[in-house]
Amino acid sequence: MTVKIVTDSLSDITSDIAEGLGITIVPLTVIFGRESFLDRVTMSTDEFYDRLIHGTVWPTTTQPAPAAFAEVLTELAKETDEILVVTVSSKLSGTYQSALSAKGMVEKKCRIEVIDALTVAMGLGLIVISAAKAAQKGANLDKLIELVRQATTRSHFIAYFDTLKYLAKGGRIGKASALLGSVISVKPMLTVKDGEMAPLTRMRSLAAGMDYLYNFVAGISNIEELAVEHTTTPDEADRLVERLGSVFPKERIYRSTVSPVLGTYGGPGAMALTVLEAAAK
Amino acid sequence: MKKVDTIGGRDLREMFAAATDWLEKSAPDIDALNVFPVPDGDCGTNMLLTMRSVIDEAYRAPDNSASAVAQAIARGALMGARGNSGVILSQIWRGLAQDLEGKESVNGSDLADALVQASIMAYKGLSNPVEGTILTVIKDVASAAQAQAVSGNSDLLSVMEATVSAASESVANTPSLLPVLREAGVVDAGGQGLYTILEGALHYLKGEIEQMQFRRPQIIVSDIRTAKLPVMVTEEEEPYGYCTEFMLKGQEFDPEKIRQRLVKKGESLIVVGDGSTVRIHIHTLDPGNIIRYATSLGTLHQVSIRNMDEQHQDYLEMQKARMPAVDTAIVAVVAGDGLCDVFTSLGVTAIVPGGQTMNPSTKELLQAVELVASDKVIILPNNKNIVLTAEQVQSLTDKQVKVVPTETVPRGIAALLAFDYEADLETNAEIMEKAKSVVKTIEITRAIRSAQLDGLKIRKKQVIGLLDGDLLAAGNNAIDVLNKILAKLDLKKTEIITIYYGADAESAEAEQVCNSLREQYPHLQVEVVRGGQPHYDYIVSVE
Repeated sequence: MTVKIVTDSLSDITSDIAEGLGITIVPLTVIFGRESFLDRVTMSTDEFYDRLIHGTVWPTTTQPAPAAFAEVLTELAKETDEILVVTVSSKLSGTYQSALSAKGMVEKKCRIEVIDALTVAMGLGLIVISAAKAAQKGANLDKLIELVRQATTRSHFIAYFDTLKYLAKGGRIGKASALLGSVISVKPMLTVKDGEMAPLTRMRSLAAGMDYLYNFVAGISNIEELAVEHTTTPDEADRLVERLGSVFPKERIYRSTVSPVLGTYGGPGAMALTVLEAAAK
Repeated sequence: MKKVDTIGGRDLREMFAAATDWLEKSAPDIDALNVFPVPDGDCGTNMLLTMRSVIDEAYRAPDNSASAVAQAIARGALMGARGNSGVILSQIWRGLAQDLEGKESVNGSDLADALVQASIMAYKGLSNPVEGTILTVIKDVASAAQAQAVSGNSDLLSVMEATVSAASESVANTPSLLPVLREAGVVDAGGQGLYTILEGALHYLKGEIEQMQFRRPQIIVSDIRTAKLPVMVTEEEEPYGYCTEFMLKGQEFDPEKIRQRLVKKGESLIVVGDGSTVRIHIHTLDPGNIIRYATSLGTLHQVSIRNMDEQHQDYLEMQKARMPAVDTAIVAVVAGDGLCDVFTSLGVTAIVPGGQTMNPSTKELLQAVELVASDKVIILPNNKNIVLTAEQVQSLTDKQVKVVPTETVPRGIAALLAFDYEADLETNAEIMEKAKSVVKTIEITRAIRSAQLDGLKIRKKQVIGLLDGDLLAAGNNAIDVLNKILAKLDLKKTEIITIYYGADAESAEAEQVCNSLREQYPHLQVEVVRGGQPHYDYIVSVE
């Protein structure tokens, strides 16, 4: 039986890709005042960013309830006896905790493993995609666990921010607060380190930021997967993909939009790049 | 969505209990926010202990009216208050209880009124109220609650939502009111604690008890510019003394009289209570004196005397663990307060004052290198006459020192910006050297004497301009000279021009310069920053 793969909506995996690879996505929730929406399900990214920029209410977010995971797991347990759940970093969201407690709520006998990917966005997405591909080829759960653990060490995530205001306001800034408060205008570049947002460097302009991302990819020789995503600047992200076409097949680059829940912290103008390095042969 | 119009005593108690649970999750994070010498290295814990006493007492309320529960809450807070923030919190609940007296239940406008009273009581307890603390937060909360109560949506839930959102903003704003917070780059711990309590209460009202289990309160991060301090002078350690607190029981106390008696005996004095029970909190160098006086008035309970110098050490350790693990320090030579701010805001570790006409000595640079708490140091000389001096340092210290030969201030800024938090010393030196070389520097100053130089005829005091150290233009005013130089540059690939205006330049003129550049070169991003540097009216970075 094929192992079923489950992740959360912070993986930024689009519904097309999820369908194609048999990935089940459990959405987080984004809340505007008294209205709450399921991430990417009952609120589209376009709608979200429009409200984020033009609305007056500051959104907040919340992880899926354990029951939401339990429902998905119970359903999947009817078709398989092995399920792998890979979640966003437990240091950025309580999603991992929810998934863990849902494990015990599934009645049917089914082996369920929950792994904290210690990363976010397409950093998480590419790990999940890599696992789903292996599952389709028949890898069993033990093998997949090993693969995911391994992949977390090969994943490089870099985010370009137009502003850190949203990240700071959402309380997720962690050690990246070192990049706050510049007197001259700068564009912070962040990464994820030990599951938390961490400072990388800063750029004076968007163009310099894009150069940095391009050069980073160009410096890696053995790339398994590559992803580019944006919050509100699809054209800039597309241009980056075009450029990256000279170092990696363009059609293989995953192109996504940052989910509303993550966009709450990324804010307008943010972009992210993820490289999943190939495993050493 | 649902509306909650009123709650009775039972709900009030459960709401406080939920708020306490919520605070418990955050207490260690709140402890870590503390800034010395702001008192009590464990503000979160103190507030939590105070709240626990509140809950214990709340269950002993004689009946389930809102009034009875609120009185019990106030009593519990006074009995169990710990630390500065705990005592102020107890005043807040006391004010709340006063206003709810006789009320069977609480609605939106009752809550708003009670918060106003709470705010008044909070200020009353202190001999010297400081803004930018929990006091400001309760004050802002109270006025937001009042505004909400007279608006269309005055149900309890709406009022509570308004208070939480006001608390969040007020906490985020605390560093702009209290310099010590701004320097440390944190928000006020007590304010954060109050915000967390209110947020927990809101979760309860919304019926989110279930979800709270899996979530954590977030510490508010201010986006107000922090001035982390790269200090040059070794600071004298000042003793902080003892944090002394206790409860005094007896008869016919006059808290005001006690306060007057103690006010000169120490710092952060709080005296709250009534005729039979008074809680006292003070930071003093001589706790014996305070205790002796208090024993003459009544009996002492819950006496706690803590050495704050020890707390300070613990605090320093904790702060260290929270900063990014940068093991490379950066020492920069900078003149002008504005430019010092720029370098500081970009995370420089130490600044050696100096520049064009005040070249620092090797010894001064060496001192700075030895002073920073890292074994790996990068020096940014920021002037071509200082590069050699800086290089001397390498052979005089056991530390690993790299000099990135930044010839000008803009190049120093470009190098500092490019610092990579994940890279080692060698790599950073390379990255920074590469980054500095793409920047062109224009300096505008006045000729100190008449001269004929590089084919230019210059009158004394005429405005002159240099490009990367070479005299290139002379003219009647800064705009004129700057334009002459920019005309010689290929600006097609340029993106950003940053103008740092000096101590003797006017900000209005700087804006004028900036506007004229924006008009002429619409594709450029032009930024004006006060540099405050001597001699050079303008230092311009072209990158």
